[in-house]
Amino acid sequence: MTPPKDSRSSRLSKNNKKKRQDDPFELWLKRGLHQLFDEVAREPVPEELLRLIEDDRKIRE
Amino acid sequence: MTSNFHDQVVTILPRLRVQALALTRNRTMAEDLVQDAVCNALAAQESFIPGTNFSAWMHRILRNRFISDLRKRRETTDIEDVPAAALATAASHEDRLALKDLAEALDRLPEDQREALIMVVIHGMSYEALAEATGCAVGTAKSRVFRARRQLEAWMTGDSHASAALQARVARVKGILAERGIAAGQGMAEPRPL
Repeated sequence: MTPPKDSRSSRLSKNNKKKRQDDPFELWLKRGLHQLFDEVAREPVPEELLRLIEDDRKIRE
Repeated sequence: MTSNFHDQVVTILPRLRVQALALTRNRTMAEDLVQDAVCNALAAQESFIPGTNFSAWMHRILRNRFISDLRKRRETTDIEDVPAAALATAASHEDRLALKDLAEALDRLPEDQREALIMVVIHGMSYEALAEATGCAVGTAKSRVFRARRQLEAWMTGDSHASAALQARVARVKGILAERGIAAGQGMAEPRPL
């Protein structure tokens, strides 16, 4: 006897998500995490690692 | 097919590096972890089924390698190492302090929560993808991200562990955002200083 799923729960969930996205701490946290980690993601891949992958590619082809 | 596999490995490397840094909190260890995970993936590429979720498969390999390494050696921590690049480029002294506080607070989180939060925020990963990448239920993935956010907020805005400077900063940010009635996307698109 589970109640039928209406749009209310999904509406509530969307509202909660929107509320969280507008939360100042949430904004601050996202910005801080991006400052800490984006730089890391943008760094060039070490040549040695690329060579390892390319060597394996040649062996398999 | 083989070529496509290698292309996918190269493409995912930046994301693996972020995951590795989230787990190890140490640049050197993170680089080693990525390299080891790539070696494992290359050795196990026959077990990858084309058309399935490569990203989840690769993130899981890195995570398993991290856990396996942890068992072999005592965990080391170098929290100064994590934000080094960001700290070097942050605009102001206040920014650097706030980032350092955030890095230290991240360091205090359990590694599964830290990893979950970073993969969702930095990679924009869905809870479903996170669950698949970390080998847990979707509910567990959601819970890890929620607890990480809640814990960081408690540390950084509420209790005695947070620095006075940071608390003042967060209060100021809250005031500015409340005044502007700011929306999520707008806030993130602004230049760095809060």
